[in-house]
Amino acid sequence: MKDSRLEDRDTTMNDTKISARGVQVHYADNHAIKDVDVEIQDKTVTAFIGPSGCGKTTFLRCINRMNDTIDICRVNGTIEIDGEDIYDKRIDPVQLRRKVGMVFQKPNPFPKSIYDNVAYGPKIHGLARNKAELDEIVENALRRGAIWDEVKDRLDAPGTGLSGGQQQRICIARAVATEPEILLMDEPCSALDPIASGQVEELIDELRANYSVVIVTHSMQQAARVSQKTAFFHLGNLVEYGDTDEIFTNPRDKRTESYITGRIG
Amino acid sequence: MPTHWLLAIILVLAAAGYAAARARALATAGGSMRRMHSLPRAYGMTALIWTAVPALLILGAWILIQPVVLEARVAGSIPEAAASSEGQRSLIMADVRRIATGLQLAVQGGGLGWDEALALTADGGSLRTRLADLGIAVGEEPGPAALDAAQVWVQIERVGHLAMTGVVLAATAAGFALSLIRARADVNARASVERGILVLLMGTALVAILTTVGIVMSMVFETVDFFSRYSWTEFFFSTDWNPRFQGGSDLGMLPLLWGTLYISLIALIVAVPIGLFAAIYLSEYAGPKVRAVAKPLIEVLAGIPTIVYGLFALITVGPFMRDVFAQPMGLGNSSASVMTAGLVMGIMLIPFVSSLSDDIITAVPQALRDASYGLGSTQSETVRQVVLPAALPGIVGAILLAASRAIGETMIVVLGAGAAARMSVNPFEAMTTVTVKIVSQLTGDTDFNSPETLVAFALGLTLFVITLALNVLALYIVRRYREQYE
Repeated sequence: MKDSRLEDRDTTMNDTKISARGVQVHYADNHAIKDVDVEIQDKTVTAFIGPSGCGKTTFLRCINRMNDTIDICRVNGTIEIDGEDIYDKRIDPVQLRRKVGMVFQKPNPFPKSIYDNVAYGPKIHGLARNKAELDEIVENALRRGAIWDEVKDRLDAPGTGLSGGQQQRICIARAVATEPEILLMDEPCSALDPIASGQVEELIDELRANYSVVIVTHSMQQAARVSQKTAFFHLGNLVEYGDTDEIFTNPRDKRTESYITGRIG
Repeated sequence: MPTHWLLAIILVLAAAGYAAARARALATAGGSMRRMHSLPRAYGMTALIWTAVPALLILGAWILIQPVVLEARVAGSIPEAAASSEGQRSLIMADVRRIATGLQLAVQGGGLGWDEALALTADGGSLRTRLADLGIAVGEEPGPAALDAAQVWVQIERVGHLAMTGVVLAATAAGFALSLIRARADVNARASVERGILVLLMGTALVAILTTVGIVMSMVFETVDFFSRYSWTEFFFSTDWNPRFQGGSDLGMLPLLWGTLYISLIALIVAVPIGLFAAIYLSEYAGPKVRAVAKPLIEVLAGIPTIVYGLFALITVGPFMRDVFAQPMGLGNSSASVMTAGLVMGIMLIPFVSSLSDDIITAVPQALRDASYGLGSTQSETVRQVVLPAALPGIVGAILLAASRAIGETMIVVLGAGAAARMSVNPFEAMTTVTVKIVSQLTGDTDFNSPETLVAFALGLTLFVITLALNVLALYIVRRYREQYE
């Protein structure tokens, strides 16, 4: 089950970055997240696993308040980032999302040039004083997205003209270009072939040096490969949360065991 | 046999063909649909198509072509001696038509046999009274030439009709029989039905294209005629518009073109920002409840007839503009003005811009908005930098539609801006547009031989070329700047 490739990295970081307590989410009458408590650590990759419709994506979208854009969605409970309640009235969701970047399930580059895609965030946040600085930010982001070599000669080409894997790495570069502290990834590899998935996974592991990464995935192998912490969701409940090694080798809950051995899902 | 009977026979046979072919195909398969190549109804449809369509096409073509041939043959049969000039010939032909109708009615009414009708001679002066009894008025006692020609007419029409009936019935019967023979289970009836549908769809597209070509051609011919009577440099570059029906007119189009462009420009300045911002509000900001109420309310504007807008301009907006702006600012005291017409037209165009733009903005994928929000941009940044560029082609299309409407609008201009051709930059003066002048040149007693009338076609063609150029320009803009998603 466990691929040893990424296993030996150190997992000694344990400052709490995100702390959720008693989180409940309703979509109209549908109770999607039931009383979830979780502490997510800094400079760590945390994987959310679980069967379809179990609420992992919903919970992920609570962390940067993307659920605000859905009219019928209600969120209760507290989520704190660095000790600050992000659902407090004084918190500006726009400011929050700058700190908490997101990569979506389906690659969604803007219908603009590759350069403009990556420069979008830095531009709206005024991170660059001049063109030279912006060029540097874009290049760095593309390098961290492991796509610089493939696109450096055609930064003016539309981002939508790239292959799916390249598009997703552009989206990751776009997300890291705004220097977030937390990176949320919603099944970033579900639309990619195994080679592109491998590239993205390596990227995630490198990003861990600077960010707290939360990744939703359907692939348990992927969770085992890239994450240090794993949370298993089932029917809106957080069933089990702990070290990835523990979850996959010695699950405490019977539901977790059933899921990772393929009996439910 | 009257034509409607013929039609009825074709349709009945076609329906019978449908049922029979379906039944026969099923029978050849031993009643089992599994052994049939296509669905039973496909065999029925094939028979229906082959029975009805060729026969109907022949019928239609015959009905269109026969009168033309008939006219030519009969006109040719009138001797030179009876019709020395073109005008005389057309007078005789008018009589011929009436007499022929009278003879046909007489035969149908039973007062006359075919042979008798064809044997009539113009001797006793009794023909006119007999025709009058049948309700056909003939100018004077028909001369022998007219009567002979009418008899030729009647004869040709009778033979022609018989031939048509025969040919059409034969086509129907042949189609019916052939399609019944072909209704076997192993025949690919599905393909022929699909081909039939393809031809039908191609035909409808062809009708639209041919109509456009026809309209343009008729405009071009009349315009060429106009330019053979009036100097084209005068028409395009003269600033005087002063048509006089007794001749010696000035027909410069510049004042009209200026009025058209000025009024359209004001209308677009009003309609585009309001319409576009309303569309952005409705699609991006408004909740579903507000949207459900506001969108239909805005679209009500599109349902108001333009004459009502014209009344609004005439009675309310015009005097208001005069009293509040024009007179105090010393810009004239006409209640009909470019400003009035432009404003009212702008209001009329708001729903065109807003409704189309709204649909197009709503069609921009949510994933793009999510991406933008996820990077920490505000709603207005998202709209401005992501949604609008992606929706640009549609928005340009909406604006273009509004522009074409503005250029072609007539009623609001007549009532709001008047009918005086003038070139002035003062927006509070009365001016008029190309369309208004087209109407005024073609109303009343017109004679399609004078440049004063024909100028309408030249004006129309010019408008057509301008809107075409606008379309091409918009296409270029869209190609150049669009951000294509998917």
